Amino acid sequence: MIALDIISDGIFAAVAAMGFGAISDPPMRAFPYIAILAAAGHAARYCLMNFLGVDIVTASLVAAFIIGTGSVWCGRKVFCPMTVLYIPALLPMVPGTYAYKTVFSLIMFFQEISSPGKGAGYLQEMIYNGAVSFSVLFMLAVGATIPVFLLRERANSMTRGSRFL
Amino acid sequence: MSMGGENRMTREYLSEIADFIARYLSYMLGAGVHTSRVVRNSKRIGGALGVDVSVHTSQKTATLTVSGKDNGLHDTRVVDIPPFPISFEWNADLSALSWAAHDEEMSLDAIRHKFDELVSKPKMNPIFVLFMASLANASFCRLFGGDIWAMLITFTATMVGFFTRQHLTRKKVNHYIVFIASAFVASICASTALALGIDTAEIALATSVLYLVPGVPLINGVIDITDGHIQIGISRLVNAFMLIICIAIGMSVTLMLVKDSLL
Repeated sequence: MIALDIISDGIFAAVAAMGFGAISDPPMRAFPYIAILAAAGHAARYCLMNFLGVDIVTASLVAAFIIGTGSVWCGRKVFCPMTVLYIPALLPMVPGTYAYKTVFSLIMFFQEISSPGKGAGYLQEMIYNGAVSFSVLFMLAVGATIPVFLLRERANSMTRGSRFL
Repeated sequence: MSMGGENRMTREYLSEIADFIARYLSYMLGAGVHTSRVVRNSKRIGGALGVDVSVHTSQKTATLTVSGKDNGLHDTRVVDIPPFPISFEWNADLSALSWAAHDEEMSLDAIRHKFDELVSKPKMNPIFVLFMASLANASFCRLFGGDIWAMLITFTATMVGFFTRQHLTRKKVNHYIVFIASAFVASICASTALALGIDTAEIALATSVLYLVPGVPLINGVIDITDGHIQIGISRLVNAFMLIICIAIGMSVTLMLVKDSLL
């Protein structure tokens, strides 16, 4: 049952990554690798959070690092810059619900502005959700960029000698 | 140029190079490529043609100077960055072009010809994109714990919302207004989940607008900052936050209408 949960998490993440990636017009040959990277990254984060009790920020950093490292290897196969593969693969991990809750609590704060107790509660919730969304987003980009710093030569010559030009 | 050797770097030729690299760089920045890659690729093409290139970029314009290696000639261009839709395909193709120019010693005419060919390739079919985005948002709903009914509602809401976005963008409506309108349309469609009494209705409502979140500029902004292009990185983030605020405005209209059933 646990294995099934992990696999379904990966599959839905892969579909989400391909779909959100499609909005930004990636080359067709990149789609299978975007799917694999997104599934691996999201499933890794799912395991870290649910089985090892790691917090969402650290788990996102690790998952993004896995996706970034994977894109060094995949990028060479399809002659795509790393960002073309890892940005769509990161999109399912962008903290959408936390961002939504940030805005929702802000709106509720305005609604309850005349009753200080309730209003303060919503304001606190807004700061909590806002802090999580910002940190996760920052860690996603940083985690995926670390391999670029470690393997600069290789990371910067992905499209060299492209067969698809 | 016919003369060959050191003499071929005339003022006219240098000016032609400057024109081409200015166009190359504005296309890449316009299509949402992160700054350090654009700068690196432009320098690579310049190097292949025998000139040094220095670039300064900001959000809406870029400045570049090309200088001949040892003849003291300079040429400077200031270009507007055209607001193209984000294109990873251009990112990959134009990067590959810079390597081809470097490795295969292409002439300026050959590079220019290839460039025109690459940027006029047909884009992805909008109906395919519409379908993919809707499917993606439905899967997203599942990842956040929505059930099958919530997924179906998110799928439909995204389809209507994304169609609104495509239609308004084609009509060249201001992009802030496009975001507000699409967020409102998608969330009002998703709010039918509340009326239908679905268990995970709130998740459907929350995910219905997530296809609008400008994930690419957000990640690009952080990449630029870590690469040391801090000013343009912050500009990209501010730009993305403006769009997120627009999503919030559009969605809050829906929330105001339905909030009694949310609490």
